Amino acid sequence: MEANALRRGELSWRLWALVPVLLLALAVGGYVASGASLAGMIGTNPPQADEFDVRRVEFKPGEIRIRVTNPQQDDLTIASVTVDDAIVPFTLDGPGTLGRLRSSTIVVPFDWVADDPMVVGVTSSTGIETAEEIPAAVETPGVTAAAFLGYGIIGLLVGVLPVALGLLWLPSLRRVEQRWLTAFMALTAGLLAFLGVEALFEAFEFQAVVPGAFGGPGLVLLGLAASFLTMTFISGRFSGASGGALGGAALALLVAIGIGLHNFGEGLAIGTSFAFGQLTLGSFLIVGFMVHNVTEGLGIAAPAADGGVSLSKARLAALVAIAGVPTILGAWLGGFVANDVLAALFFGAAAGAAFEVVAEVVRYVGRRDPAGLRSAYAVGGFLSGIAIMYATGLLAG
Amino acid sequence: MPKFTRRRLLAGAAPLVAAPMLGKLAFDGNADAASRTLQTHENDHAAHGHAAMIGESAPAVGGPNDLDALLYPPPALTHEPGRVREYTLRATDREIEIAPGVFFPAWTYNGTVPGPVIRATEDDLLRVHFVNAGSHPHTIHFHGIHPANMDGVFEVVAPGDELTYEFPARPAGMHLYHCHATPLKKHIHKGLYGAFIIDPREPRPPAHELVMVMNGYDTDGDGGNNFYTVNGRSFYYARYPIRVRRSETVRLYLANLTEFDLVNSMHLHGDFFRHQPTGTGDHWEYTDTVMQCQGQRGVIEIDFANTGLFMFHAHQSEFAELGWMGFFDVVD
Repeated sequence: MEANALRRGELSWRLWALVPVLLLALAVGGYVASGASLAGMIGTNPPQADEFDVRRVEFKPGEIRIRVTNPQQDDLTIASVTVDDAIVPFTLDGPGTLGRLRSSTIVVPFDWVADDPMVVGVTSSTGIETAEEIPAAVETPGVTAAAFLGYGIIGLLVGVLPVALGLLWLPSLRRVEQRWLTAFMALTAGLLAFLGVEALFEAFEFQAVVPGAFGGPGLVLLGLAASFLTMTFISGRFSGASGGALGGAALALLVAIGIGLHNFGEGLAIGTSFAFGQLTLGSFLIVGFMVHNVTEGLGIAAPAADGGVSLSKARLAALVAIAGVPTILGAWLGGFVANDVLAALFFGAAAGAAFEVVAEVVRYVGRRDPAGLRSAYAVGGFLSGIAIMYATGLLAG
Repeated sequence: MPKFTRRRLLAGAAPLVAAPMLGKLAFDGNADAASRTLQTHENDHAAHGHAAMIGESAPAVGGPNDLDALLYPPPALTHEPGRVREYTLRATDREIEIAPGVFFPAWTYNGTVPGPVIRATEDDLLRVHFVNAGSHPHTIHFHGIHPANMDGVFEVVAPGDELTYEFPARPAGMHLYHCHATPLKKHIHKGLYGAFIIDPREPRPPAHELVMVMNGYDTDGDGGNNFYTVNGRSFYYARYPIRVRRSETVRLYLANLTEFDLVNSMHLHGDFFRHQPTGTGDHWEYTDTVMQCQGQRGVIEIDFANTGLFMFHAHQSEFAELGWMGFFDVVD
């Protein structure tokens, strides 16, 4: 009896938690149903902006495809389409009147001039024209085997290869003294801190051009927090498995994951920029990326060298794959489907992963070499990491 | 759209180190695209561009006779000094469809942009009752010769008020009228204007008479026009070509009320015409293109040499491609 009463008490206490939710639903329902116009009491609502969000502009032979989304509350109708200030006939692959966050693709038969700058305009029923400037009309790569392979090779060159090369420092690192190893670990932290800051700003730049309806800066925070906490969780599992402390090999894996996430974003940026004719994909750029990313391999090698266990070739290859292959995936995604929302989210995630790994590295060094944490080796290593990234980053523009 | 920002490479930076495989990849891609574009140009040219924008494929609002009241002026009357010609113009706020699905919150005389054609013969007494049923103060300012208090500048008519303009119609010619309330740019571009024809004492020879008022609409308020038309709807006469007879002279009363742009123009394909600036005097020009700044107008007479479809349009290509383009369908 008593246990039952207790359970009943527990149950009603839990049910009580539903009360605010129900009351909120009632209040919302009541407000909406009453059709009350608060704006009417205070003043007048401003008109809707009636601007489209132009998601993608693709150039195909004899055709321009414009993907637009309605970012506002009210419906938005595609009434007229212009190319370089000329009204053009078009067909729609999707609805003509877009509800909130709905998209449509405008197909314009058009004899466009390769490499010329161009402005496409989409006019709403209220006559508001959303213009999108294209720096240079370049045929958008289709999802062909060749394009797939091309992006794959780019990812391989700027992602996988440099990381693998950087890992070749591993045997040399194994032979250095502890204080120098600390310096290299700090260097790794410096590299990652640099990548994190960079990714964060990149994320905010993408977020800035995303219409408000798709999320403000919170979108970036979402990506950042999700990856930071996931990495924390993973590292917790690793340390649990090895008796409470994270091993060098496990830390190397974490660093590889962090760098992998970053490289995914990097691949994404290269893919989209090239697909939209915003990037000259010359050998200068590729070489710049390669030199820049070799340091990422070094970042993985430093904790691996400190592990005290020799890693098998297969495990080293796995580290390279985790850190480098995401570049290829990112390039594919960017080249074929990416948009601003995804980009903001992924760069946020890259930043979160980088910052988490910096924290792990600092914790690791603090444990392995408590005296070294505040030594000139650690400070110098960290600053050198940032400086190296900055200097090699200049190479890639 | 995503932009590449992280490591911007200065455009045109020369390759430092050769990476033959990638270089080849990138360049092959370009060459391919270029050759395909050229092919497209050769094969599909007829399918694109505005030369093909006629009939069904021309994006215009409404049915075939919607603009007849604006295109065909009331008939000219013989000279009869002192005869009273009365018109009533009501200024109203009205949303008009200027291109398919594109609505413009216009200020109109009698519900249309341009307003109705006002026609009188020289020495008629013109009596125009003006009712301001709009939401802003308006006037009617006529071009022509009249007393200062009939000029539509000082006597601003408040919403709900009325005013009757009365003056003898002169001089003969093709004129125009428009609101002269301030801000002038706003009141004109919103649509308060129309054609005003004064026939000479000696009637002009019989002809098939047409009126065209050139205008533009700035639908997004950026101080530049998004659409251009004659008689108010973009591409309307491309959708519905104007049927004329080769045996009959076409007399076209043309005026320019385009706001924001310095000039507008009209060019006729496949023929020449006589042009009498302002419809006054003895000076006729023989040409196929006339240019007018805002407020300029003239009388054009065309004797078509051939039958068929002949395009006419602004010779500012931009205006033509934003709606100021149409066709004469010349038949025997």
